[in-house]
Amino acid sequence: MRRIYKVLIGLFLIIAAAGSLQAQDTTRTFKPFLEHRIIAGFNFGATAPVGLPNTIRAIKGYWPEFTPALGYELSLRATPKWGAAIGVKLDFKGMGTKDEVMYFPTVITVKDGSSTGTFEGTFSGKNKTIVRNAYVTFPVSAVFTPNNDWRFSLGGYFSWKFSSNFYGTVSDGYIRNGGPTGEKIIVDEASFDFGGDVRKFDAGLQGGAERRVGKKLSVMGNLSWGLTPVFPKDFKGLDFPLYNIYMMLGVSYKI
Amino acid sequence: MNLRKPGFLAAIALFVLLFTSCIKDAPLNPEADIDSFIVDKKFLTSDVFIDQANAKVLLYLKKSAYDSGIVPRIVVTPGATITPPTGDTLRFDSTGTQQYTVTSQSGKYHKVYTVNVVNIGTWAWDFENWMIQPTSKYLYPIEPDSTQIWSSGNPGVSLAGVPKDPSAYPLRDTTEAYHGNYSAVLETRGGTTLSGIMGIRLFAGSLYLGVFDSKYALTQPLAATQFGQPYLGRAARFTGYYKYRPGAVYQNKAGKPVDGAIDSCSIYAVLYRGTTRLDGTNIHTSDRVVAVAQLPDGSARGNFTRFDLPFVYKPGAITTGSMMLAIVISSSQNGDKYEGAIGSRLLVDSLKIIHE
Repeated sequence: MRRIYKVLIGLFLIIAAAGSLQAQDTTRTFKPFLEHRIIAGFNFGATAPVGLPNTIRAIKGYWPEFTPALGYELSLRATPKWGAAIGVKLDFKGMGTKDEVMYFPTVITVKDGSSTGTFEGTFSGKNKTIVRNAYVTFPVSAVFTPNNDWRFSLGGYFSWKFSSNFYGTVSDGYIRNGGPTGEKIIVDEASFDFGGDVRKFDAGLQGGAERRVGKKLSVMGNLSWGLTPVFPKDFKGLDFPLYNIYMMLGVSYKI
Repeated sequence: MNLRKPGFLAAIALFVLLFTSCIKDAPLNPEADIDSFIVDKKFLTSDVFIDQANAKVLLYLKKSAYDSGIVPRIVVTPGATITPPTGDTLRFDSTGTQQYTVTSQSGKYHKVYTVNVVNIGTWAWDFENWMIQPTSKYLYPIEPDSTQIWSSGNPGVSLAGVPKDPSAYPLRDTTEAYHGNYSAVLETRGGTTLSGIMGIRLFAGSLYLGVFDSKYALTQPLAATQFGQPYLGRAARFTGYYKYRPGAVYQNKAGKPVDGAIDSCSIYAVLYRGTTRLDGTNIHTSDRVVAVAQLPDGSARGNFTRFDLPFVYKPGAITTGSMMLAIVISSSQNGDKYEGAIGSRLLVDSLKIIHE
């Protein structure tokens, strides 16, 4: 986590420095000003591993969930071309996927009252997973405005999760109790729900571009790449980290 | 709208990158099972059972096969290897245990199977010797010669994510004995979050002669409890001692309390024809059943109480050929329907089958 923040701050400083260098060339008549924008769109993407582990044998399906994003952005144009922006966004990120796995390790922790037990095993068969997490996201960006029509931003984001869904089914396969040499147990269909295990915070890099299409209206695309795994380290339901990797497509309206 | 298109294309490209092109080569098979252990039926008193949870091959041999040895045909997980190889003669004259080592295709995993020849010497049990299952930590009773002929629902409960502790399971030992130092205690327990997903909100304590086939534990739990051991002769009576206290609140399958209902225990023995075990789905209904000895009243008993149940033979029942006998005991009579009272507690000791 620490390192990610350092990277983000470093990046921001570099861009800001580039902006101030640029500033020296500009005319003295420019006065810094603030801009306000309302941003709305949808997130398309995946909560996914970066590089599929070899236990995932096939992706049979993928679909976006209903995952809107709505927010407000405050930007400071420090020089004619350079500036910085902060925002606050209600940010839903989600998707559904169907896949086939083989010898897929999982540990399910079961809490019943005061007692805690676990089920550990390797699953081979079909899987269906639906993810829908809701965050309040604070993006921080350096903004480059080369002309009246285009606007580019690059920076980082911090997200605070306020609701999470991560559930699905495993079917048409078998699970081995304890690991590959454990006894084989046939699974017709069983469901899982890891929603309660999703981490409270997410942080990563984000960047995007806007194209003006009206007097105040722009269309925009913004890629956010999570650098903190969606599940905490001690979570053993999956043996690889998942990251939020989403592209927001939408509009911004200058107010 | 200029931007929308490249943006969308970029998103699609990202997915192609992340998902499709990144499917790696299949991992080498890490599994190392004996899938089947085939022995000619004419050598057997009951079907071979492979206890995958404990890596045991249980053989029920006729005396002639025991003396001459057998040549099993062994099928292992695809890609795995076995030593000694299939086709070698398995002899039972030495005192050492017979073991097979299966190595997975990946080479990373080994599973060592022990062959156990199961003989039921005397049909009488005091439940003095118990073993602990090494990974899931549940208890099971063993015979004086260390073989296992009794099983229970414990292996199934172990899949529900209960704490790995003998006291978390419905069946275990207790020093509250009628005879000797120990007896078997069966206690109906509440289900777990995980079992609730399968619609199981209660685990009745169970103890039975037979085996537990984990394969069916989730899909068909009643088929996993396979009742019976090979039996020679004609059973006359089933005797023993029990003590029973029903739990406070009787609940139905949905986990809702049922007013006025009181739990009762169930103790019975079934003699049936054949060498293939009956299970929880057909032990009451199979036309192979020859005789049944059943406790008529499973209500509370404050002290150890003797029962002496006659085997009631079906009229005209054939009692020649291969026979098997099952004893099935439960702390909740409707436990097979996941009904009963959490906390119902049944103790049994000094069980005996009296032959004619």
